[in-house]
Amino acid sequence: MSGNLYIRRMGDEYDTIFRQCVSLNTELHKLVPLAKQMHLLSSNAVSSAARAGSEGDAFRVLTQDIQLLGDDVSACIDDTQKVIADIVMLASTLARLFTNYMTFDDLSKRTENVKMATPAKFFNRAHQQVVEEIREHNHKLSRSLGGLANLLSPIATLVKKGEYLAVCSSVEAASAGEHGVSFEAVASMLRELVGQLGKQSARQRTLLRDLLEAMEKQQQNQRNLLYAR
Amino acid sequence: MRVEQLYKNNAHRWMVMGRDAERRAEVIDTNHYLVQNNGRGLLLDPGGVENFSIVATEFSKHFDLANVEAIFASHQDPDVISSLPLWIQANPEILVYVPQIWVSFITHFGVKLENIRPIPDEGGIITLGGHDLEVVPAHYLHSSGNLSVYDPQAKIFFSGDIGAALLPEDHSDLFVNDFSDHTRYMEYFHRRWMPSNTAKARWIAEVRKRDVEMLCPQHGAIFKGDDVGRFLSWLENLDVGSGWSNVR
Repeated sequence: MSGNLYIRRMGDEYDTIFRQCVSLNTELHKLVPLAKQMHLLSSNAVSSAARAGSEGDAFRVLTQDIQLLGDDVSACIDDTQKVIADIVMLASTLARLFTNYMTFDDLSKRTENVKMATPAKFFNRAHQQVVEEIREHNHKLSRSLGGLANLLSPIATLVKKGEYLAVCSSVEAASAGEHGVSFEAVASMLRELVGQLGKQSARQRTLLRDLLEAMEKQQQNQRNLLYAR
Repeated sequence: MRVEQLYKNNAHRWMVMGRDAERRAEVIDTNHYLVQNNGRGLLLDPGGVENFSIVATEFSKHFDLANVEAIFASHQDPDVISSLPLWIQANPEILVYVPQIWVSFITHFGVKLENIRPIPDEGGIITLGGHDLEVVPAHYLHSSGNLSVYDPQAKIFFSGDIGAALLPEDHSDLFVNDFSDHTRYMEYFHRRWMPSNTAKARWIAEVRKRDVEMLCPQHGAIFKGDDVGRFLSWLENLDVGSGWSNVR
């Protein structure tokens, strides 16, 4: 395979990484209203627990956990969005570096076997520098993608935690007499939110898997290209 | 791509490069100039990313580009200066002379302030290897921050987009041969791209104060000898800023 073909493929792959990050970010944005609804739900649950008096004591403990669940989802979204912003920036920088790489590559081909007043090393040094910058940014991109995987994996745990809290809330509702109606309403809403969180989390895992595959292909092409040089 | 020497006197030279036959059809043809003095080089409007490799290759055949110490940008357009990050990658020490008002815009090409030497609205002097080149204001022709360069020794006036012509593909001459015929390639460009008759009159007056043997635009053909005066008179009588849509 010619060097040019590897370069074109690498350019396409950065573009793919860029687009996949945008999709992932869009999916992540959908979690923001879920986290807000969890906070609202925990406030409603606190009111229900207060109205129940001593019968709501156990439920009150659960409301704190629902609040913490909302906090954890919010924190996860914030951290993940920062990493995605880094990845988008790195991918666009890499795309620019690749344009520069292709330009210096073209220059190098044009000047081959031509008598030049400018010594070859003048532009070769710049060409090599671009290669080094690509390597460095690629390494950063790899690390950021690893970080992204680490940040997204706790969402699955949060889903399980939410499901458990919904079950506990239903149990409390069953033993709380007339106040159980409002506790069950909280439990039902929580199940709904956690269900949505679970679906979003599954979509994000798929997008992340695609993103990591694109990155792996890109790195393989980079190795091939540099070997071809 | 044609490369020609416009002026040579000992260690002082001007070269032009233009008519890039390899360029993509949608990319406007551009002229690039290299001024040399005592082994030092200055590139005038070195062009866009699109033609960096060809400009660098062609000028490299005649001059060691490691000795290009500065780049001059008449204004901020991409066909003038978007290759800047590549020139800086090749020579991180290179100086970039640009109209002051465009500094914070040109930095969007990824250029650092340490390379930039802003030129104030009133113009100034660029010294190359001990030789002074005069920077003449050409604001609103067409850009709101626009500069020309005059070399009193070579009597060459680099005019940027002023005097530009949109030539047909098969037009390979670097110089204007038939001025009357040439005006048909210039008229729409000047009526459409040049917005101010007042600015035009001021610039023409500035050029007439100087002894000019060649007027060198960034697009189209170069005016030589009597054609310089013919061009100034033609421009003087042209109602610029009038070339939009149905007015054309």
